[in-house]
Amino acid sequence: MKYADWPLSAPVNLTWEITRRCNLRCIHCLSDSSLAAEGELDFEECRGIVDQLAELNVFEINFGGGEPLLKEHFLPLLRYIHSRGIVTCISTNGTLLTDEAVDCFTGNPLVNVQVSLDGATSDVNDRIRGEGTYNRIIRGIERLAGKDIPLSINTVVTSLNFRQLPRMKELALSYGAGLRVSRFRPSGRARDSWDTLKLSPAQLRELSAWLNDDPTILTGDSFFSISQDGRRRLGLDICGACRMTACIDPVGSVFPCAFMQEKDFYGGNLREASFKNIWENAAAFKYFRRLEPESCRICPRFDKCHGGCPAVAYFVSRDLNRADTECLVSWSHDLASAPI
Amino acid sequence: MNMACRLADRVRVRKESWGLLFYLPARHRVCFVKSRDWLYPRHFDGTWTPGDIAADVARRTALPVEKVERCLYPLTDRLKKDRVITDEVR
Repeated sequence: MKYADWPLSAPVNLTWEITRRCNLRCIHCLSDSSLAAEGELDFEECRGIVDQLAELNVFEINFGGGEPLLKEHFLPLLRYIHSRGIVTCISTNGTLLTDEAVDCFTGNPLVNVQVSLDGATSDVNDRIRGEGTYNRIIRGIERLAGKDIPLSINTVVTSLNFRQLPRMKELALSYGAGLRVSRFRPSGRARDSWDTLKLSPAQLRELSAWLNDDPTILTGDSFFSISQDGRRRLGLDICGACRMTACIDPVGSVFPCAFMQEKDFYGGNLREASFKNIWENAAAFKYFRRLEPESCRICPRFDKCHGGCPAVAYFVSRDLNRADTECLVSWSHDLASAPI
Repeated sequence: MNMACRLADRVRVRKESWGLLFYLPARHRVCFVKSRDWLYPRHFDGTWTPGDIAADVARRTALPVEKVERCLYPLTDRLKKDRVITDEVR
């Protein structure tokens, strides 16, 4: 797909990090969540943003954070979004579900819930998400399971949980949920854990083959650059940042994606500019839409991934003109040149 | 019996400069239809048959209705096959 041929007047979906507050301290947290950010958006401001997004016909808002259920007005905001007909996906750590939240999600055609779990056993999960979290998350999943709620378990694939992915799938199925895997990327707290938790080239090859063999596993973001051709047909062949998606942070700043919340990629703030204006005119957004990493242009797979995930390239090399270091060509090359 | 076109369950659509963008949230998929200004979201509200849509396009573009039908019907068939739209008895 050439974006120039299909420019979008608004995102298909948005990531909205509604708060930076979180009760967990996961070592791979992409947004380094802990305490609420200073000056987070209040309910009226959020409602105004929703009105803009509804006007632009944005189809879906994906809530993350931070833990969205810690935002004091989250459920009223969710109800307001649904009244505007926008689909929502709530990414939660599953430890703070209340009866009110479960009721709000149940039987609601505009809700999808994604619970984060990073291991099929407590010893693996708890090393990533914190001591005692496995049992608390499972209790949360049990509260949601069996209800009329589209549910998935989301796992960020790391060297710690890589071997447990088939068990994760079975675990998800046992709760009537799907397994969704996300790429581990070196932003937020993951910068500190990147070297120890990233997958090796051999693991990337195995992951790619596993995903290729099992189309029921959902892959949320940027798997196109590490996936074989059979899997690629299921999704994008280019980074969606600024083309199909964007990210709103807790204070209303707009960025290309949740992994690119850096000063250099700042699009604008919704307290000062409209979303439409930022989407159409922000210099950072225009730059991202044109981005074709120089080091990838001679690659025979360029048309299949267009350089892969810019967030990985940027945080590993500080250079957006470098390739996604985990792309299929990179790990294939690494494996071919590795001593036997 | 007239069969009208309606968006399939939970499918959304919006107009873009190049045509229509359909969103299938259950499958997290998008569908791009390069229809320029021929088609609008209203054509899939369950009240327009393919013949009605063709007649509307022909009227607005001054093209012969037969020519519009030759382009439009394979498209609506494809959208039905892909479960983007469904038939609705009108």
